[in-house]
Amino acid sequence: MDITATYSFAAPPSEVWNLLMDPDAIAACLPGCCELRPLPALSGVEGGDDRYQAELIIGVAAVSGTFTATIALSDKVPPHSYRLQVDATGKPGFAHGSATIVLSAEQNGTLAHVTAAANVGGLIARVGQRLLEGVARMTMDRFYGCLAKRVAGAGS
Amino acid sequence: MYSADFDYHRARSLADAQRLLAAHPGAKLLAGGHSLIPLMKLRLAAPSAVIDIGRIPELRGISRSGDSIRIGALTTHAELAASADLQKSAAALAEAAGLVGDPAVRSRGTIGGNVAHADPASDLPTVLVALDARITAVGPKGERTISADDFFTGIMTTALADDEVVTAIAVPASVRGQGSAYVKFAHPASRYAVIGAAALVSIANNRCSGARVALGGLLPHASRVRSVEKALTGKPLDAAAIEAAAALAQADLGSNVAGDIYASAEYRTAMAPVYVKRAVAAAAARAGLA
Repeated sequence: MDITATYSFAAPPSEVWNLLMDPDAIAACLPGCCELRPLPALSGVEGGDDRYQAELIIGVAAVSGTFTATIALSDKVPPHSYRLQVDATGKPGFAHGSATIVLSAEQNGTLAHVTAAANVGGLIARVGQRLLEGVARMTMDRFYGCLAKRVAGAGS
Repeated sequence: MYSADFDYHRARSLADAQRLLAAHPGAKLLAGGHSLIPLMKLRLAAPSAVIDIGRIPELRGISRSGDSIRIGALTTHAELAASADLQKSAAALAEAAGLVGDPAVRSRGTIGGNVAHADPASDLPTVLVALDARITAVGPKGERTISADDFFTGIMTTALADDEVVTAIAVPASVRGQGSAYVKFAHPASRYAVIGAAALVSIANNRCSGARVALGGLLPHASRVRSVEKALTGKPLDAAAIEAAAALAQADLGSNVAGDIYASAEYRTAMAPVYVKRAVAAAAARAGLA
């Protein structure tokens, strides 16, 4: 399942970059999230990746489940691009998502181009197949939409 | 699979339902049970309590009042499909209700439960948006009415608050020169709409004097295709004009189309104008007969 989307932020790339790397902002904007617990960086990587663990509630309305997720920010080229990896497992199944985010400056702010690939399995994939893409897209829209609002809020 | 444990409460009246909702946070309302119960049996939904509103008499029935038709929230799909009032004055709704799922679903499933559940692949929301229906709900702060346009906000997400109960849906009765229709590309196994298209057209002096066209099944929620509506207005509704207007549906859909393993977003986007065209042509034919 591949999803691409573009989100606009009312701030220059450097400011958007700081927000996208900020664990508190990520935690506040991830749907159904709480706090990010830092995990040790993977060994052998210069500077290490930013890795976190969190409990997420993913889904819509009555159809949602609690997942334990690992969230990693890697391949960072500030303030231009990075990779966001989310690996979530829970009772209803698992979801592995990987996205490349590329920031580009535009006249009134920044555009974030997101190219994501997700792999969902288990019960939720067997019985919820027809809703998966829509829910994945909605979750992504909520996350980046929320971050964009934080930028707008900080600027005013 | 058995559902997770839950408490069962039966509401005897609307006031009783509201009292139970207030007393049991996290409870789900149960009407016909043909969306909620399967989700609970799959354990994708596990409400702590279920409040059965299925036997409240005041929420049943179809009645004509002035220029609109009031449909009680507990009216089943089978009752909608069989209603002579709807067949005559809101043809698309009777038509869509007859295409929902299978006979068991149509005999138990209700219009109120259908709109509150707001499955993106459901049939009735698409028709209700096209017909400019109004949904009435009651909550602790009293009664309010929401247009179908504003009611559906996302996948299984609506403008309803947790403590509100849908009581009725009102659809304007079509007048002379108006016609409506619903056509769908049904998934062969589930009968859910891969694409559903609903149209309401008004014809005066052999030209389209107004149109409302909505698509569902391929979007997070049923939505109007306003470019198509605009292109139809003022035109004689011949095959060429309908086809040209329907082609604009793709622009309205943008990047909001979701696919699945059965039908990709690209495929659905390509098919949308075909179903829009069929719905508008069928509605125009009915408008001519009316």
